[in-house]
Amino acid sequence: MEVIRTEKLEKIYGDNGVPVKAVDGVDLTIKKGEFLVIAGPSGSGKTTLLNMIGALDQPTSGKVYLEGEDLSRKSRSQLANLRLRKLGFVFQAYNLIPVLNALENIEFTMMLIGISEKEREDRAMKVMEELGINELAYKRPNEMSGGQQQRVAVARAIVNNPSIVLADEPTANLDSKTGESLLDLMEQMNKEKDITFVFSSHDPQVINRAKRLLKLQDGRIKIDG
Amino acid sequence: MLIKLSWRNIWRNKRRSQIVVISIIVGVVAIILMDTLSMGMIRQMLENQIGSHVGHIQIHRNGFNDNKIIQNYLPDADEVEEVLKSTPEVIAFSERVLTLGLLSSATNSSGVFLVGIHPEEERNITTINGSIVKGNYLSGHKREIVIGEKLAEKLGVELGDKVVAMASALDGTIGSDVFRVVGLYQTLSSEFDKTYIYIPIQNSQKMLDLAGHISEYVFLVENTKEVQDVKLSIKNHLGEKYEVLSYRDLLPTLVMYMDLYKQTIWIFYLIIAIAMVFGIVNTMLMSVFERIQEFGVLMAMGMKNGKLFTMILMEAFFLGVFGTIVGVLIGLIIYFPLTQSGIDFSTFSEGLTAMGSGAIIFPILTFQGFLSALVIVPFVSVIGAIYPAIRTVRLQPVSAIRYV
Repeated sequence: MEVIRTEKLEKIYGDNGVPVKAVDGVDLTIKKGEFLVIAGPSGSGKTTLLNMIGALDQPTSGKVYLEGEDLSRKSRSQLANLRLRKLGFVFQAYNLIPVLNALENIEFTMMLIGISEKEREDRAMKVMEELGINELAYKRPNEMSGGQQQRVAVARAIVNNPSIVLADEPTANLDSKTGESLLDLMEQMNKEKDITFVFSSHDPQVINRAKRLLKLQDGRIKIDG
Repeated sequence: MLIKLSWRNIWRNKRRSQIVVISIIVGVVAIILMDTLSMGMIRQMLENQIGSHVGHIQIHRNGFNDNKIIQNYLPDADEVEEVLKSTPEVIAFSERVLTLGLLSSATNSSGVFLVGIHPEEERNITTINGSIVKGNYLSGHKREIVIGEKLAEKLGVELGDKVVAMASALDGTIGSDVFRVVGLYQTLSSEFDKTYIYIPIQNSQKMLDLAGHISEYVFLVENTKEVQDVKLSIKNHLGEKYEVLSYRDLLPTLVMYMDLYKQTIWIFYLIIAIAMVFGIVNTMLMSVFERIQEFGVLMAMGMKNGKLFTMILMEAFFLGVFGTIVGVLIGLIIYFPLTQSGIDFSTFSEGLTAMGSGAIIFPILTFQGFLSALVIVPFVSVIGAIYPAIRTVRLQPVSAIRYV
């Protein structure tokens, strides 16, 4: 089943009046259950591509379809709604809400959807158990290590059963052992729950785990396989 | 959870929030003290005027208040007395003769309001007997006079001295009589003290050839809130021959001042509010700029503009409410002891005495004042957060996440 499809996707930045093509005519289809890594050197356009797939950035031209829905036709509010219900994000710097504990961070998106407090807590605790982080439930981000925070971020990303989880350099701030452990976890979620993961990374640790590797260069796909 | 998040967010930078809260507390305390003292001063001015002479309601022949000549005596005092006796709200009344006249000593003279009273009945209406600072109140003997201490100074008379009162009599001739000063009074209004003199009503009637007529009835009602209703009821009973005037009609300048205060206090509130708005805008902008990346993440996760906007307004609202609660508590802690002791403004006593409020002001907290202190700051805080909130929801998620 097709989760994401892009057609001639293009993003041009007007950097000091000089147009720079960050993404140049990318045609891409991502199917459910994929474990895809977008790799490439700095400036190759991998984060820009990820942002457009994640409805965070608008393409200059071309289309992005999320489960068949054309994102270019959506309003800001509709895009927010799509991100809330169909997308999960894992960021390089974890980006947990510092004043909420792990449980509350995981519950947060469910709160935005309007799920009842009881159900929120049950679902969040279940995901934490699955990821083996239930002992972190009442810890705030500043009381957790980077690896623990990133695990909580993964829990937050998957708790709403999104169509796809987008992870931008998720291991960049972690040591190799913690990074491996995090990738194990995401791989496990991919296998057990059939969650689609798309990574943007130049970390060999991540690239080696890819079931499908997409190499970008100058905004174009060089290798897809 | 949004409430929890907003509340926790305001304590992320404790020192900054504490500074804002302290500024709010100072503002709220200032509002409470300013309002209660002003209300106390105005109320004292009004009550002093009511207590020293005016009473709650006066009844005259129609036109007397504009032209206080002796010919404008009450057409039928018995009729008026009957109405007053049959009005249950009236708790005390007294008859008076009132006219403009001249009081002379051996060395000086001064224009006065000559007031003929029944000393015992007048005790129940006004506080003149309690305002005697030298000598005694009228005992009921003939040709006694009580004058203000300020007037005595002006005339150069002391207790026991003789003074001559003159005024136009009923037939147009000049009526005069000699009185002995038995008491000097001092009220909280120096202007009043220089102007009003009190003599037995029988002497005034004889001197002015009034043949038992009187100029006015003055009376008090049980509850000041009933004044207007009682006034209208008595007016209906007595008809067009009489004018029935409440203290609001008789003290128009003071009432106008009171009404004006109620209007102008909003200017004071506005000034405090503007100062607070800038403080809140500044704080919230700093708070927002510190969290741009976080807002980007919240947007990425699907938080809509409405919720983000609400969250920022709530943060400011909580700051305002917290500061207000503490400010109101501190304000009340300061206020309650002052209601007993008052604040001594002796330094400004000359001005305050001229205004008739007295040197010691007892603050009065009104419901409106209390409500204003409670509502204004949280409201202003929300207003102050609107601009930072607008700035936030205009952020693009992708650039906000990258913001350093």
